[in-house]
Amino acid sequence: MGIWHQCLSRLRGDLTSAEFNTFILPLQAAEDDGSIALYAPNRFVKDWVRQHYETRIIEVCNHLSKGEITTVRLEIGSVRRAGIAASSESPGLAGGLAPPTSRLRVGVEQRQAESNLSPDFTFDSFVEGKSNQIARAASIQIGKNPGTVYNPLFIYGGVGLGKTHLMQAVGNMVLATNPQARVVYLHSERFVAEMVKALQHNCIDEFKKRYRSVNALLIDDVQFFAGKERSQEEFFHTFNALFESRQQIVLSSDRFPKEVSGLEERLRSRFGWGLTVAIEPPDLETRVAILQSKAAQIRVALPDDVAFFVGRRIRSNIRDLEGALRRLAANSQFTGKAINLAFAKDALRDMLAAQDKQITIENIQKTVAEYYKIRTSDLLSSKRSRSIARPRQIAMALAKELTKHSLPEIGQAFGGRDHTTVLHATRKVKSLRETEAGIEEDYVNLLRSLTA
Amino acid sequence: MEQLTLAIAPRPEADFSDYLPGPNGEALAAIADWAAGRGDPFLYLFGASGSGKTHLLQAACCEAARRGRRALYLPLDHAGLTPAALEDLEQVDHLGLDAIQTRAGDPAWEQALFGAYNRLRDTGRRLLVAAHVPLAELPIALPDLRSRLGWGPAYRLRLLREGDCALLVRQAAERRGLRLTEAAVAFIMRRSPRDPRALLDLLDELDRLCLRHQRRPSIWLLRRLLDADQPSPSSPADAAHRASGND
Repeated sequence: MGIWHQCLSRLRGDLTSAEFNTFILPLQAAEDDGSIALYAPNRFVKDWVRQHYETRIIEVCNHLSKGEITTVRLEIGSVRRAGIAASSESPGLAGGLAPPTSRLRVGVEQRQAESNLSPDFTFDSFVEGKSNQIARAASIQIGKNPGTVYNPLFIYGGVGLGKTHLMQAVGNMVLATNPQARVVYLHSERFVAEMVKALQHNCIDEFKKRYRSVNALLIDDVQFFAGKERSQEEFFHTFNALFESRQQIVLSSDRFPKEVSGLEERLRSRFGWGLTVAIEPPDLETRVAILQSKAAQIRVALPDDVAFFVGRRIRSNIRDLEGALRRLAANSQFTGKAINLAFAKDALRDMLAAQDKQITIENIQKTVAEYYKIRTSDLLSSKRSRSIARPRQIAMALAKELTKHSLPEIGQAFGGRDHTTVLHATRKVKSLRETEAGIEEDYVNLLRSLTA
Repeated sequence: MEQLTLAIAPRPEADFSDYLPGPNGEALAAIADWAAGRGDPFLYLFGASGSGKTHLLQAACCEAARRGRRALYLPLDHAGLTPAALEDLEQVDHLGLDAIQTRAGDPAWEQALFGAYNRLRDTGRRLLVAAHVPLAELPIALPDLRSRLGWGPAYRLRLLREGDCALLVRQAAERRGLRLTEAAVAFIMRRSPRDPRALLDLLDELDRLCLRHQRRPSIWLLRRLLDADQPSPSSPADAAHRASGND
């Protein structure tokens, strides 16, 4: 048994299990004559070990080796990867992060890995619905004709609605059409982190060259550039370089370009130069279609009534839908039972119970009152002016849609009103949503914020 | 005569075999798969204190390490931990994040967790997160982080039933080479909380005490151990005083 393994046994007795598993377990050791090199997974673990355990480790190793080992070298990196990347301290640009297996890939697959694109995100696997059809059509146009139709393409919408999928589908289409194209997808937060590292290691020119020489640059969630002035400056120049050389830029954000706060005006205005498209939360039918498409991808038989049950109960975003589907698939595999409605209700009961607990009539009243800038007590009062009655009707309709309460219970919670008042409110809101765009927008916004 | 035990007696490694599944068989299977690099790469665990979250996270990271993968277990409630702990995780194959509720609502931590999640996902790594409440009840302010944590399946860990706890004590004692009589198991169950961690710690203490006294485990030793943690028993006179209501 090597000295390090013996040392581990000692340390396991010395430290709490949390300390041992957090700081000692991830260390990898390479023993050499008279010394041991310990590789920590990142700088934090390295510094922590140096500060808290280095002396003890040297002492134990020295004792166990009968005085042979006198030094312990702490580094960042890994033994098995030491040959190809001795340390992660050199800037890990997105292309450099591809797993080692990608080296064996060829053609488009290799380009996808270098581009940080997932092959799963294609237009074929993107389920089209009313909520995303314009964004999808525009993205396909750009995938076919990068740099010529709309530049930049700016996709905005709430979390988990498919922005990343569309962006990556554009990247994958560009590569499929032209395997020699240089496409890079990355999250804005990663752009910032890489730039900081490049500055620290004096290789900012390499960083600039990498991003200013691509054929398509796809940056996700640009709202995370907020407040990061140096990154915005760098991205501004990257944007200009690509735009002037007619290379495609695709950006995404959680809101409309002009509304992204914490960004310089010159960036915000550039974001709006091309085409801006929105992705809305999917309606029930689209949610069901998404579930069925994802079930087919992971080869799970999902009956229609189960897909409708899940689609009705989980309306917040597509990631939650996928999480629920994966839970059903895992449960089915574990128990060996086929998925049916009773099975789904049982398997998802914890998840749905937690969600139901969050949406109460009180919560709905508070959210609606805040949205319309009125007091919650107004909703419960007998006031009948339009500015109060309309929000009250909307709050009642939301309570009917999002909670399991009966009409009399909802009426009671709104200042002791009759159940027929609630019924009238839900019908009125339904018809107003079809005829007044403003009411429809308010309702969707409230629904989104209550189920986020 | 008492024998002095070394303070560095190795404690058993966190292990799936020390975890009695009871009502949590499905969660255990998913976590074991996660550690082995199979199944869903992103899992969310939740459950009350004593349901075994920490044990399972540590066992999963140890198992991944035994399989030659680079695993990092980060208890986010550990004093001194900063968001920098989540930077540069390119070397890590399996990341276990415990007690995430302690950092929910902290913007710097949420940003760091969000960045770590994206990086792990982009590079095909694995993440196991544990919290004391379901995701819907976690006070996370960053919607992007919340939705990502909901991307994989979530599992509730339930507390073990009384009978399961007794079985856990018997099995864990056997693994430590401690021969416990049924009376000793019953004594432990009467006097200890129904918390697997506390029960396993008690067995480790008992193991040390047996070694120190060179004796087999007995109710006498257990009483020494458990009474050391309790306030000294009150006299019948005190009890009578309390019963009369004269506090």
